[in-house]
Amino acid sequence: MKKQKLRVLFLTRRRVGLLALLAGAGLATAQTPAALELALSERDFLSDMPIVLSVSRLPQRLDETPGAVTLLDRDMIRRSGARDVADLLRLVPGFQSSTSFEAGAPVASYHGAFERFSARIQVLIDGRSVYSPALFGGTGPGLQGVALEDIERIEVLRGSNSAAYGSRAMLGVVNIVTRHTVDTLGLQAKLSGGENGVRDVQTHLGWGQDGATFRLALDRRGDDGLSGANGHNQVKRVNFRADLRATASDDIQLRAGGLVIDSGKGYSDKPTSDPLRDRSFESSYVQLDWRRILDVDEDLALSMSRTQESHRDNFPFSLLPRFRINDSIVIDFGGRTRSDVLTLQHTARHGTDVRVVAGGEIRREQVSSKPSFNTEAARVTDFTRLFGNVEWRMAPDLVLNAGALAEKSSDSGNSVAPRLMLNWHLAPGQTLRGGMSKAYRPPSAFEKYADIRYFYRGHELPGPATRSSGRVQPESVQTRELGYLGDFSPFGFNLDVRAFHEQAKGFVEGTTGQPRDFFNGAAFSIKGLEYQLKARPWGGAQLNFNQAYIDIDSSVAATAASAPKRSSSLTLFQQLPGGLDLSLMHQRSGMAKLVGEGASSRFSRTDLRLGWPLRWASKRGELALVVQNLGSPYQDFVSAFRFQRRAFLTLKVEN
Amino acid sequence: MVRRTLLLSFWLVLCAASWAHAGATVVIVSSERSAAYGEAAQALVDELERGGLARAEVLQLTALEFSGAGPLTPKLYVALGTQAAQVLASAEWRAPVLCTLLPRNSFERVLRESGRKTSAQFSALYLDQPLSRQLELIRLALPEARRLGVLWGPESQGQAAALKALALARGLELVEASVGRDELLFPSLKKVLEQADLLLALPDPQLYNSSSIQNILLTTFRARVPLVAFSPAYVRAGALLALHASPTQLGLQAGLIARGVLQGKTLSATPIYSQDFSVTVNEHVARSLGLKLEPAVLSAHLRRREGTP
Repeated sequence: MKKQKLRVLFLTRRRVGLLALLAGAGLATAQTPAALELALSERDFLSDMPIVLSVSRLPQRLDETPGAVTLLDRDMIRRSGARDVADLLRLVPGFQSSTSFEAGAPVASYHGAFERFSARIQVLIDGRSVYSPALFGGTGPGLQGVALEDIERIEVLRGSNSAAYGSRAMLGVVNIVTRHTVDTLGLQAKLSGGENGVRDVQTHLGWGQDGATFRLALDRRGDDGLSGANGHNQVKRVNFRADLRATASDDIQLRAGGLVIDSGKGYSDKPTSDPLRDRSFESSYVQLDWRRILDVDEDLALSMSRTQESHRDNFPFSLLPRFRINDSIVIDFGGRTRSDVLTLQHTARHGTDVRVVAGGEIRREQVSSKPSFNTEAARVTDFTRLFGNVEWRMAPDLVLNAGALAEKSSDSGNSVAPRLMLNWHLAPGQTLRGGMSKAYRPPSAFEKYADIRYFYRGHELPGPATRSSGRVQPESVQTRELGYLGDFSPFGFNLDVRAFHEQAKGFVEGTTGQPRDFFNGAAFSIKGLEYQLKARPWGGAQLNFNQAYIDIDSSVAATAASAPKRSSSLTLFQQLPGGLDLSLMHQRSGMAKLVGEGASSRFSRTDLRLGWPLRWASKRGELALVVQNLGSPYQDFVSAFRFQRRAFLTLKVEN
Repeated sequence: MVRRTLLLSFWLVLCAASWAHAGATVVIVSSERSAAYGEAAQALVDELERGGLARAEVLQLTALEFSGAGPLTPKLYVALGTQAAQVLASAEWRAPVLCTLLPRNSFERVLRESGRKTSAQFSALYLDQPLSRQLELIRLALPEARRLGVLWGPESQGQAAALKALALARGLELVEASVGRDELLFPSLKKVLEQADLLLALPDPQLYNSSSIQNILLTTFRARVPLVAFSPAYVRAGALLALHASPTQLGLQAGLIARGVLQGKTLSATPIYSQDFSVTVNEHVARSLGLKLEPAVLSAHLRRREGTP
């Protein structure tokens, strides 16, 4: 009897314990899971977070960059009133630009426009190199790749840096960075209209949320071009970008887009060799970037892209005057290209003093143009590259950047482009830079394989022909430079000075005889000094003053005249009462053949912009009046073309 | 006979076990068994040992285990974490309860849900840092910052008035935006970043969590606006600076309080903030923003300002 009572008691206690346990568990899950997550607890303080600002996301400080950099931010782009990136680049010291579409698109060159295509600077849009194999490796169409509204900033590196930016970064680098999709959510539209047939329409739509955001941008930019030129032109663009976060440490970006440039070209006084006609340049691309954060001090990035171009430019050539045949043939400069690129890059920080970037790239360029190469087959060039850069803080005030790019081309053999730069902070805010580098540009497919012949009914016609012997070798530039960066923020200004000596070897030139061939020209040097001063002299004002003194020492007169001996630009941005925004830009250039053609000229140009901010409910906008070239018309591209004054209004709305 | 002996010995063992439990002087209830709670408990036990209490007299249980344990008669309960505080709040205990390793918001929620009031029988040592100390640190680290950006969410909104008053007293301006439940974060973040010199993150799981932190850090970094956060994990992710108390620091202070209770003192009727704290800096982000911050120097200055050694 007693035993039984004990047993019952024991069981009861255990059951009570079990019930209490269940009750406790029940209490813990009484709140719904969702509510629990949103209730603040110690978990918010104690849990881990994914690394976001990893080593490759933290850019170098301006005073530790191994070179002279000019940053063009969104504010500057807006206030300049520029409608093309090439036109905006005229405000960077050492640059020469032309607004003519004669060469396909407006071009900008650094330290000399040796020919009309500007193939000696590297232009990148979000890491994708955008030179056009169809146009001698020219960068004009590339600069048209994205609408100005989509650009977050443009980093212009004045000086060669193949080690970090790939070959073709011979004289300088223009790195265009587009806006992150998270910054462009919603709808934005911009309209411009005015004199000279300026008709621009631009819009972008952004959508998405945390971890998956998108943007679709469409725009059309058109005007009547330069007076005296067959200059009507229209650029149509579509660009899509997606920023996706696959996992806490994986970031994926997808980009795709297309560009069509329809422009007039030719001369009324050259009816047989370069008559007035329309030409069209189309390009489309797809790009995938994947970045993985391996650790707070280590990242890996993989990038793949394909760019296709097609260029249509032809005109009928009458055989009557020369051959007495009452018929004509088509003279064609068109072609198609395709570039496929795969890049892998690893960035690692070793301790606090060393940062290493290393990687490899394979690129295949295919150019097909029956009229240019006398074959239906494509000219294929394969490039394999290995690059690396070490940033070493040798002492708290001394930073060394040492890098190199080794390139193997199926066409031109191997080359190694090294770069060395030392930055010394001699005092807080005062930095001296010194270094040297070597860069190469492989010859374009046309320069190496051109074979232009004219046929009529199966017979080859005698006439101006181009037959490349293929003897052209890569061009090279060896640079020695000294720089100074002074940050005088307490006094409201900072100064960047670059003194340079660039030894150019083997710049490709065309012979004047028949048939035309390409050869590596004589060496010459580019010496000089350029500086940029940024100041905030009084409330609401921003003043930029640049000057460049460039001396090209060459036995060939045309080369020596490729850059002006002196050019300057003064920009004033002023906030006026009432929120009005005034910009005044004055630019002056000494004698130079702006794009290596025609006679030298000097010019000066003054632009004015006045902006009124607008606001309705949640929407913001701006109405701006832009007047380009307040002064007299100046020569742009060739003596017959003139940049006349044009005024236009821009209305922008965004939410 | 054998069965009786067995039963008797069984009972004796049971009684011995419950007597052992009943003999525990301090009962520590942790929300979970994970690292942070373990560190706090360890620091607490070490401090008690220094005060002369044997390790065996401290009983450590998880919140689940506590619900199923037998009668306990300690002199003090210590709750580590919100869940433990909830469990200890659910009934009246004869000994005082000190809740720690939880933020003020959580403690106040526990009080609301259990209908209790804070008293010398049920008090807390907060994990989060007082707003005044955070503002002092901001003034020391970023003396040129005049406009503080803050995003208020459903959990942090309650501190808006207090922060405004404290900021005003220090000559700082607040640039605020509220984000409602289920509302998108980014429009408010962008608006705040247009004017703020820095973004002060006040904990709110709807706004600051492992999903949103990537976009927040990228956006603030692009705008060159530093983020001042509340845990070292955020600094590692890319925040410039954080003011926080580690589980060890809290455990140590809880241990000191516990020693006081065992000597006959009472718990403070109003909850207190931790006396000790740490400052963590992301030096790569600092360098990128052109700043030079030394965590040791900042901590020392901050302690001096508060008048503690």
